[in-house]
Amino acid sequence: MQPSDWAQAFEDKLKPLWLSAIGGDNTAYEQALELIASRLRGYFARRLQAMPSEVEDLVQETLMAVHLKRATFDPAYPVTAWVLAIGKYKLVDFWRRHERTGDLHDDIDQVGANELVASEPDEGTDHDLAVLLQTLPLAQRTSIELTKLQGMTAVEAAKESGMSVSAIKVNVHRGLKSLSKLIKQ
Amino acid sequence: MKTSNLIHLLATNSEPVDPRAVTKSLAWPLGLGLLASVLLSALAIGVLPAEAFVLPAVWVKFVYGVALALSLVALLSRLYRPGAPTQPVIKWPLLTLLVMTLIGFAYLMFTPESQRAAVIFGRTWLACPWFVLGLSLPALAALLWAARQLAPTDLKTTGFATGLLAGAIGALGYSFACPETSLTFVAIWYTAGIVLAGLVGRAVGPVVLRW
Repeated sequence: MQPSDWAQAFEDKLKPLWLSAIGGDNTAYEQALELIASRLRGYFARRLQAMPSEVEDLVQETLMAVHLKRATFDPAYPVTAWVLAIGKYKLVDFWRRHERTGDLHDDIDQVGANELVASEPDEGTDHDLAVLLQTLPLAQRTSIELTKLQGMTAVEAAKESGMSVSAIKVNVHRGLKSLSKLIKQ
Repeated sequence: MKTSNLIHLLATNSEPVDPRAVTKSLAWPLGLGLLASVLLSALAIGVLPAEAFVLPAVWVKFVYGVALALSLVALLSRLYRPGAPTQPVIKWPLLTLLVMTLIGFAYLMFTPESQRAAVIFGRTWLACPWFVLGLSLPALAALLWAARQLAPTDLKTTGFATGLLAGAIGALGYSFACPETSLTFVAIWYTAGIVLAGLVGRAVGPVVLRW
């Protein structure tokens, strides 16, 4: 297959899933995010060849951004173009953060042995999800735990916690934003 | 953490997306900014007497402000969306600026030479750009605040375009109070104020719009 055929085939797989997802189909959303993660992995791996251990962290940071900024997607354009534009923005941000500490200038002989080995493709370097959730303010943590870990709807979670439905929704959003800041390297 | 765990977290019970989010993020700041611009202009400077609104100059100012604002809304709607092409819409604000410049130039050419300096400088050329800038600030603050929900990938350009839009709103408010009738004056000094607002937006954008 030509590279452009592959890209089109990928978009043809992703777009219908994504359109269902933003309409509220969470099963389609999970599948779409898995596809997006694999695409981002390839995108970052090519551009971070000197730092393969950073790839998965960037994938996760970009996935959070994809989730938080879903409202900026325009169905008139390809999903892949939108996803990669977000990825590029996060990559540029990554370079900006790492320029100051001189991370880019490691001599290959001085790189530790554990950094030379590529980590599990699916595993970020730090930040256990459960640990991160514990650091969130109570309202945000509760909202996320009830709706996303225990799978309750917003209405059920409101009953369980005593918060209003809108407070649950607002705190889920804020909690994800906080998580997003925490997983930035 | 494992990425698949993060994905599962994000996908579980996620809220459907509001398809009008970008539109809303422009609409309320513009409404609020315009209201503030007109009110401040009326209170701080004073609305022109009713007779002034018969003159074409006031209406040229209104049309200029509205045309510029609409063309910048079209541009910003793209700038807020990662990957959306801006090339097709960049021509509209540029065209609006060009047309106003040509109108100002033509007005100057049709003015007898002895009156040209008055037509260029009027009585308020020094103050006008700063009034336009000042009146644009509420719109600028509101627009930048709303833009934080969105995802502009070019922060300097987005800041600049946001500033220009706020400037157009400032210019619209100033049109209610500005005594000048020369179209050359409008082309030069209103534009100067709008560009000043653009520069403020461009400076502040990379700080405020980061996500």
